[in-house]
Parts: sequence; structure tokens; C-alpha cells
Amino acid sequence: MLPRAVVVLGLLPVHSCNTSHLCYALQIEALMMEMQNPDKGIKTQTQKVMITDIPHAVAGKSNDILQWILQRLQITEEEALHLGDLFVKYGYIYPLQEPKNLTLRRDGSLYRFQTPYFWPAQSWPADDTDYAIYLAKKNIKRKGILEEYEKEHYNMLNQKINYKWDFVIMQAKEQYKAGKERKKADRYALDCQERAYWLVNRTPGMFEVQIETALSSTLLTMDMSDPSQIMYCQQAIMKSRVKSSVSLGGLVKYSEQFLSNDPILSGCLPSNPWVTDDPEFWDLNAKLVEVPTKMRVERWAFNFSELMRDPKGRQNFQLFLKKEFSGENLSFWEACEDLKYGDQSKVKEKAEEIYKLFLAPGARRWINIDGTTMGITVKGLKHPHRYVLDAAQTHIYMLMKKDSYGRYLKSPVYKEMLAKAVVPQETVKKSSNFPFGRRHLRSSPSPIILRQQEEEAKAKEAAATVDITQVMSKLDRRRTWGAVPRLPPRTPRGGGGGVAPNGCPELPPEVGQPSRLSLPPAPPGGGMAQGRVKPSQSFVFKSAAFGAEVDDSAGSRARWPTSECIQPLRGCAPCQGVHPGHPLRGVHPSLQVSCTS
Amino acid sequence: MVKEECKALLDALNKVTACYRHMVLTIGGTSDSQNLREELKKTRQKAQELAVANRNKLTTVLKDKTVSKEDKAEFERLWVIFSTCLEILEIDMRRALELGHEFPLNVPKKHLIQTGMSGGTSGVAARAMSVQNMKYEAEHNIDVVDLKDLENEINQVGEMMYEMEMKVSVPQWTVEAKQDPGAELKSTISVGASSIGMISVEENKSFCDISKVLAGIIFSAVLIIAIVLAVCVVKLS
Repeated sequence: MLPRAVVVLGLLPVHSCNTSHLCYALQIEALMMEMQNPDKGIKTQTQKVMITDIPHAVAGKSNDILQWILQRLQITEEEALHLGDLFVKYGYIYPLQEPKNLTLRRDGSLYRFQTPYFWPAQSWPADDTDYAIYLAKKNIKRKGILEEYEKEHYNMLNQKINYKWDFVIMQAKEQYKAGKERKKADRYALDCQERAYWLVNRTPGMFEVQIETALSSTLLTMDMSDPSQIMYCQQAIMKSRVKSSVSLGGLVKYSEQFLSNDPILSGCLPSNPWVTDDPEFWDLNAKLVEVPTKMRVERWAFNFSELMRDPKGRQNFQLFLKKEFSGENLSFWEACEDLKYGDQSKVKEKAEEIYKLFLAPGARRWINIDGTTMGITVKGLKHPHRYVLDAAQTHIYMLMKKDSYGRYLKSPVYKEMLAKAVVPQETVKKSSNFPFGRRHLRSSPSPIILRQQEEEAKAKEAAATVDITQVMSKLDRRRTWGAVPRLPPRTPRGGGGGVAPNGCPELPPEVGQPSRLSLPPAPPGGGMAQGRVKPSQSFVFKSAAFGAEVDDSAGSRARWPTSECIQPLRGCAPCQGVHPGHPLRGVHPSLQVSCTS
Repeated sequence: MVKEECKALLDALNKVTACYRHMVLTIGGTSDSQNLREELKKTRQKAQELAVANRNKLTTVLKDKTVSKEDKAEFERLWVIFSTCLEILEIDMRRALELGHEFPLNVPKKHLIQTGMSGGTSGVAARAMSVQNMKYEAEHNIDVVDLKDLENEINQVGEMMYEMEMKVSVPQWTVEAKQDPGAELKSTISVGASSIGMISVEENKSFCDISKVLAGIIFSAVLIIAIVLAVCVVKLS
């Protein structure tokens, strides 16, 4: 259906308002006023009512209304019918013969215009108090005979606005008496008007909040010369709508699920620090606490996003993923988050690193994404920005969510964490023994210290993790080689001058897998952001004390955990031995060889 | 008694509010006229006077610490009724302003909506002002002129309500209604009865009037016939 160009008399074309109910309402009101024109408006006729003859009552036949709309707006009959229907549904005109049937019938039944006070208006929603007054008035008039739904409304309102009830009754009586001062015919018309208004605004059978639905875009006043309006309407048609029952159901479900986790509604164990001055709650729920609380661990099972939001959850998940040899997914995801939210001056370098580590063909921790996404990402990486890896990140996220998450929840890793989790005891507010004594106020640890601790923890973990597959393959290859030649000097990586390793040779790269990977610089704190240790690297290490950026040759894919050194196997040049103070931890036993020097 | 005075004032305000609502309903319809606008103005001014009087009385009572607990509860109930009444009045005034802007009376191009009403609202206005008949003395263009005053008065009412909220803190929800649901039926059955009685009395009166006239005619006719007969009898005998 093509929109028709119509300019409503007396109103400027509305360009700016898009969804405003007010705009459409104003246009309809203007139309209503035009209909009253004695020459060009709708012909009216008298209405005969059984009880009393209302000689001056005016009503328009529905056919006349349709004809007038057709002729005035030059739209198709279907549209005119729909428009007329809307007029009735919103209460601008009301049917006389079948008041409850709020449609525009085509059989010539009579309709009357509603008084402007009762026109729908956004700033004057149909008020509960007014409805209560109306029902009380009806009660008086009909001597207690109300319809079923009206009775229910009445009782419900009595409970809801009970404190106003005296006023409601007083006002109802007064309005009833005031109404008597009018002519009988007018009284009848007034009754019809009010009844129609409340039928529109309190539809029988609907108890819930009468949500005022925005007027659907009538084709009334679409200005052809305004393409933005047309585009807006077309987009609005295509917009996916959710039924309010569905969305409200979702809200209810969410609230029910998270009710126990809400510290305000359900209290928090051990105690609310703001009340009892006891910060144990915060200590127990620290970001990377050793043993999390049970409530926190159970929360990871609610949905995937909860697991990913919690750093401890991610840590645990990573543990699980490593066992399944898909830890690179989570590492990639975390790298993308860092790209998005981290230092933007380093966007280019970060994007490059991520590419080399995860995305390049033959990358060390190559993630499995489909061809199209890879194509888009690689293309975007030519001009890297914050969100260049969004597509790939989403893909990986959904992969983890649909695939690994389910297994994670059933895995022993998770179950172990659940068993280990503590349930803190509830503490009572300590009554201060010294009302005049100074209270010792503990301050929370400085964020700098916290960050350092975090990074150290990450480094430890990075060093502790081993890429199992690489371990096995390297083990095979190691056995075939004897003396390992010293590596040629490596190409410098971004910014730092490379320092040759201190005598510990390095294995040549794996055959057939060229890589252009360069190592990330070791940050001063000493942590490696993503890390699984390749066994090749395990032979040659740079201690953090050198603060070195380890350079990589074009061929090697060494990764350098900060401060561990493992002896190479026999045949290698004497190593300087294991650095004191950095015991090996978590390395595969087959790699732990004593130094032969 | 203070309570009775308060109640009387409140009843008066209630009555005026109800009448005002009736009149605002007719704006824009076929029975809209300059008279209606004048009536609106007068009613609204009266309503404001009553509101101010109510407020003064009730605030003095509620601030009084020597009032007993039951009395205080009763006054709080009256206060809630008063504030609700004032809210409704304010809403109606705002709507009157809006509708007044939309439906100026002297513009030939703007037609009034044919709502089917024909009679005027003078009876309602008279009830509101507690007079027998309304006198109309305003100029021709009161519908436009009045709107400015209306705006000012709306602001005044708004300020009054705000002050009320600040000065007197009566939590509305603690007030319990004295009347049960359906109470309007019981009292108005009496009222209804009285009104029905009034109607019947009126009808009786009218019937009586008619019947009185008829009876008079018949009586006089019978009398004439009797006199004629008597004369005949006398003449014949």
C-alpha cells in the first residue's frame, strides 16, 4: 500500500514526531472537527429512542462516515474501514445501537460524536478514581444492578483506593444530583457518552493495567515529500515485537531466579557491611578469591552470561576448557574484551597480536570460526578499531555457550568448586563495647595493590598451564633431536630491543608450521595475559628480572612465562639452572628434568 | 462545632466540584456557549474560595495538638477527602484550559462537535453557585479572555496543593473509609426515595393540578346541571 499524500487542513505537516501518540491524536482531532462542518461534514440525523424522543440528537450513519472518509482522504475502502474502526476503538465516536461492539459496522447503524472531554489524550489517562465515581453513580442510577465485570472492578477499586472511598461516594452522589439539573434528553446523551468512554477505557474482561497502545500508523498524514517518515514507517512495520505477556513473563522469571541473590531483598551473609561495619562480605566475594561463596557458584549455573561476568567463574571455566583443549576460545574472548574496553591508543598493536595469536592461519592458539566470519574479521583488521573483532567474538561466545557450557555444568571441575564453596555464617551486629572509644576503621586495599596481585595471580596461572597437545608433540620431537643449536638472533618485536636468551637454547619451530608470531611484551608486573606454556618455550626463559621483551625469530612460536626456567633435555648447553625462588609448578612431569650442569 | 463546620465546607466544595465537572464535560459540544464559559468562570472562582476556606480550617485543626486521637483521625479523613477533591478540581481546570484553547467560540471555521446535547447548563451552575437563577453579564469574547485567568488560577491551585503537602503530612493510605462498598445505595435509597418521592410528589402535584382543574370543571359542571335541574323542577312543579 502506498502512502497517500494528505495535508490536513489547518495543521502543519508533522515532520518531527515519529511515535508520538499526540501527533496522530491531533490529526484525528482535526478530522473530527472537520466532520462537523455543516456543509462539508457528515450529515446527521435524529435518533429515536424508546424511552424518550430525542429530537435534537444527532447521529451519523456509519456508511456516511465511511463515505466521508473516503472522499476526504482519498484512500482505499479497506483503509477507510480500518480508520473508521480506529475512530470507534479510541472513542472519538461511539455506536448507539450496540454500545459494547466497538467497531464501525457497515450496515448503516448510528454513531454519535463523543464530547471532547472524553477524547483520548495521553496527558489525561482514564483515572481509577474517576472510574470508581462512575461505577458508584451507575450503582445509584441502576439501584445496584451492575454488570459482572463492573462489580469485580468495583470491589477491586474499593480495596485499591479505599482511602479515597468516602470522597468517591460523596462525589458520585453530587454528580448524580447535578446531572438532574439538566434536560432529560441531555441526561440521556450524557449517560451514553460516559458509558461509551468507560467501555473504551475499561474494556470488559481486561483486569490488568490498560496499556495504552500507540495508535498504529494510520495512513492519514504521511507526507510524501518526507522520505524519512516513510522509511521510519517501513522500518516500524518490520520491527519485531514481543508480546507483553512474554516480556513480562521473562521479567517475572528473572526476578524469581535472582531474588535470593539480591542483598537488599534477601539479606546477605555473613552480614551487610554497611550495617555491621564488618567487611567480611566483601572479602568473601572478592574478584578472584580462593574459595568463593556457594551462592556465587550456584549463580554461574543460571545462565552463561552470569558465568562470564564473574572473573572467578571465568577462571574455573578456563580450567575446564583446558581439559577439553578449547581454552583458546575463552582466551580469545578475553582478549577481545580487552581490546574493546582497554587502552585505545594500543588498539593497533593489540589487534595485531590477537590476529597473530588466534586468527592467523597456523596460529599457535588458532580458534575455530567459520570462513565468512574469518573473512570479515581479516578485512576489518586492515583498519583496526575497538569493535573490529566483534563478529568473531560473538561467534566464539555462542560456541562456548551452546557447546562447552552445558558440559561444564556437569563436569567434575564445576562440581568440585561447588563442593568447595563456603556458606558464610551469619554474624550479628557487634555492640560496641567502648561507646567512647575510637573505632578502628579498616580501609579497603589500594586498587594498585589489588591490580598487582591480580596480575601476579594471572602470571602464576599462565606459567602453570601447559598446552598439552604441544607438550606431546614436542616431546616426540625432542627425542629425535640431540644438541639443540643456539637460535639465530631473533627479530625485534614492537619497540623493545631484543636480548638474547641467557644461554638456554631453544628448540627450532615445529616443522611445517610457519608463524609470524611475536611475543607479547612482558609487563612490569610480570604477568602474561593469555598463556599456555608451549614446551618449546619451557626450555628457554627470560626471567622477569631482566624485564625483557623476548624476541622471536620468524620461525619460533615461543611464549615466555615470566620467571620460570626449566632445564632442557640432555645435550643442551649448560643452563644456568633453575632460578632460585621460582619453583616449578604444574608443569607436566615429563618436562621436569634436572639440570645436568 | 469545628467538625460540623469542616464537614459543611467540604460538602460545599464537593458540590461545586461536581457541578464544575458537569460543565467541563460540555465544552466543545453543541451546548457550548459564552454562557457556559461564564458559568465555568464563576463556578471555578467559587470553588477556589471554598478550597481556601477549607484549607485554612483544616490546617488549623490539624496543627492543633490538643485534639483527641479519634478527632484527629476524623480530621485526617476529612483532609484526605479535601485533597482528593482538590486534585480532581485541578485536573478539571487543566482540561478546561486545554479544551478552551481548542474550541474558541467566535471563530467561524471551528465547528463545535455535535454531541447531541441541546439544553444549557444553567441549572447546574445555579446549583453550584447556590442561587436561583444565573445572571450573565460577561462580554462577548469571554471564552478567550478567561483563559489567561484560568491559567493563573491553575497555578494558584497547584501552589496551594504543594503547600498543603509540605505543611501537613497526612499519609493518605492510613485513612480508612467510613463507608462500605455499596453505601451509596443505602443512603440514596433514602435519597432516591426522597427524590422518587419528590418526583412522585411533583407528578402528584402535576396530576393534582390537572385533577384539581378537572375536578373543578366537573364540579362546576355538576353544579350548573344541578342548578339547571333545580330550576327545571321548580319551573315544572
